[in-house]
Amino acid sequence: MLHVSNLTKRYGLLTALSEVSFSIRPGEVLGLIGPNGSGKTTLFECLGGVLPADGGAIAENGRPLTAAERKARVFYLPDAIAPWPAQTVGWALDFITGFFGDRRSTTNDQRPTTTAVVRQLDLEPLLDSPIGTLSKGQRKRALLGIGLLTPQPILLADEPFDGLDLRQTREVAQTLRAHAAGGRTMFLSIHQINDAARVCDRFVLLSGGRVCGEGTLDELSRKAGQTREGDQPERGDLEDVFLALT
Amino acid sequence: MSFSPSRKSPFVWLLRKEWRELVASRSWWVLLVAMGPLVGVSFISAVRTYAEASGLNGTAVGQGVGEAFSPLIGVWAPTFSACELAAAFLLPFVGIRLVSGDRQSGALKIELQHPMSSLARMSAKALVLLAGWIIASAAPALAVVLWKSYGGSIYPPELATVVFGHMLNAGLTIALAAATAALTEHPSTAAILTLSVTVGTWIINFIAAVHGGVWERAAGYTPTAMVAEFQHGLIRLDVVLVAAALVFAGLGLAAIWMRLGIPARRRINESIALGAMTLAVMFACTFVTASWDTSESRGNSFPEADEATLREIRTPLRIEAHLAPEDPRRADLEHRAFVKLRRVMPKTDVRYVSSSTIGLFEQTAPHYGEIWYELGGRRTMSRVTTAEGVLEAIYEISGVTPPAEDEESIFRGHPLAVPPKGAAAVFYGIWPAAVVAAAFFIRRR
Repeated sequence: MLHVSNLTKRYGLLTALSEVSFSIRPGEVLGLIGPNGSGKTTLFECLGGVLPADGGAIAENGRPLTAAERKARVFYLPDAIAPWPAQTVGWALDFITGFFGDRRSTTNDQRPTTTAVVRQLDLEPLLDSPIGTLSKGQRKRALLGIGLLTPQPILLADEPFDGLDLRQTREVAQTLRAHAAGGRTMFLSIHQINDAARVCDRFVLLSGGRVCGEGTLDELSRKAGQTREGDQPERGDLEDVFLALT
Repeated sequence: MSFSPSRKSPFVWLLRKEWRELVASRSWWVLLVAMGPLVGVSFISAVRTYAEASGLNGTAVGQGVGEAFSPLIGVWAPTFSACELAAAFLLPFVGIRLVSGDRQSGALKIELQHPMSSLARMSAKALVLLAGWIIASAAPALAVVLWKSYGGSIYPPELATVVFGHMLNAGLTIALAAATAALTEHPSTAAILTLSVTVGTWIINFIAAVHGGVWERAAGYTPTAMVAEFQHGLIRLDVVLVAAALVFAGLGLAAIWMRLGIPARRRINESIALGAMTLAVMFACTFVTASWDTSESRGNSFPEADEATLREIRTPLRIEAHLAPEDPRRADLEHRAFVKLRRVMPKTDVRYVSSSTIGLFEQTAPHYGEIWYELGGRRTMSRVTTAEGVLEAIYEISGVTPPAEDEESIFRGHPLAVPPKGAAAVFYGIWPAAVVAAAFFIRRR
């Protein structure tokens, strides 16, 4: 289990993250929920090691991780980027597999191959297209392909459904869940609460750079005081829970 | 498309990726296209002048300037000067594009999550940029082939020195571009910063020419001065070491600032430490005196017999020259005599004395123009600024018998009265067309 404690990030006088603490459990799909500007991307960038935090620690089973250990455990997939725009999607997937190393340790390894990821995300028609020429949704799927092929056991994906249509959103959600079932931990930053409710096991609610709640929908509902003991909250309640807690 | 697991090292993958990015960048292809005409105009003009000085169109052989018959000075220095132009005004943009591109596109955030060190990442970029520069250097290589086809003489050591000098200059440019691209958020800011540094070195050269002193010493290590020495067939180890230190410092600075996940304060401290270390190394390098004259004409050396005699003089030599920085005699004295003298007598201490910069209004001063030599308590004065005059003064105070002049060892040059046939077609037509065609086919793949 990975535990983030008291993570703080300031931009001058503005505090983007204030003593953020939560846990990431192995194999779960954890959703980071928050409105625009709540600090979701900043939190992911700090966890991914591409933005320095001003305070806090990341620990695994109680032991603080070094920068190198964190790189070995966490991969952060940014939103709204078009890496290597002149290169094709096929090349980018090949590069990621080669550069970061093939995740499969043996030929019997059940972890996904590039071919499987291409099939799951319907990337076949895009393989020969330069990344810079893709539409927003196509680029998002290509980026997800890149993220899914990285070897780190925890994937942080910033807005994985942004730019996708309803059908694609459902397919991608299924793919992410399948990868989680295969043992990979997914931590997804999502501002569309309905999307989050569809795919995530647990949630971290972020507002104004602070964690307002962490847990399953039931736990959050109880915290929000919206459900009576024994009631099963509906999935759509996440919106109310979020509003109540933030 | 099939995907198969690869066992190549991450660094090889990175090199391949940087190469693909270089080939995909328009700036590199523009550099390649421009190299042809740039080299062509220099080469054609140099060969034509060389031919005229050698007797083409009725000019009698032997009436030209003797030095012009050295292909190094007459052809290679001007031809390769095109590389200096390209390195100052085109190569920085190629480098900035390759370094900034990753930050602009977001690829850096992905690549940074690999445990590979930032310096290794930056080295991959530098190696690929250097490879790109070597390919661009095919244009001056074509000039060498053409020169050979005209029947021109080639002295490989001096040609290799010129090529090495320009490679080192390209290395400096790449390091500078990488550092500015890493330090700034936007490529345009990096471009402005890079050009500012280039212009800054020119200002140092200008101030050195006006004020002399420490500035003159600093100006000796600017890229312009460095390239000029290589173009004369002189390899100074101190210059090479200083350039190498600057290249490593530039790449190191770039590596420090590409680590986005490190707090700015720590990156600033590391940069200051790197700067201080580089300055210390550069200062130490200035005490290195080894140098090699690779020119066939021995243009940076006294005659061998004189050098052997001078090496016998162990006592430190002090020279006081009453000449202003902008006085042409001072430049003559420095380049025709003192540069050669320092190579054989490293314990020579030259001091210039003047109360003005141009010397025009000092001409009537009683001691202006005097050059005082002091060796082991003996002093003599001379006003001669030629190499022969300096040697005569040194022999006089050292009490050494001057060696007999060796007529055999005098460089007679390699006249070649052939016009640059076909060069215009190669550099203005075939080269650009071939580059454009290559760009079209390679970028389409």
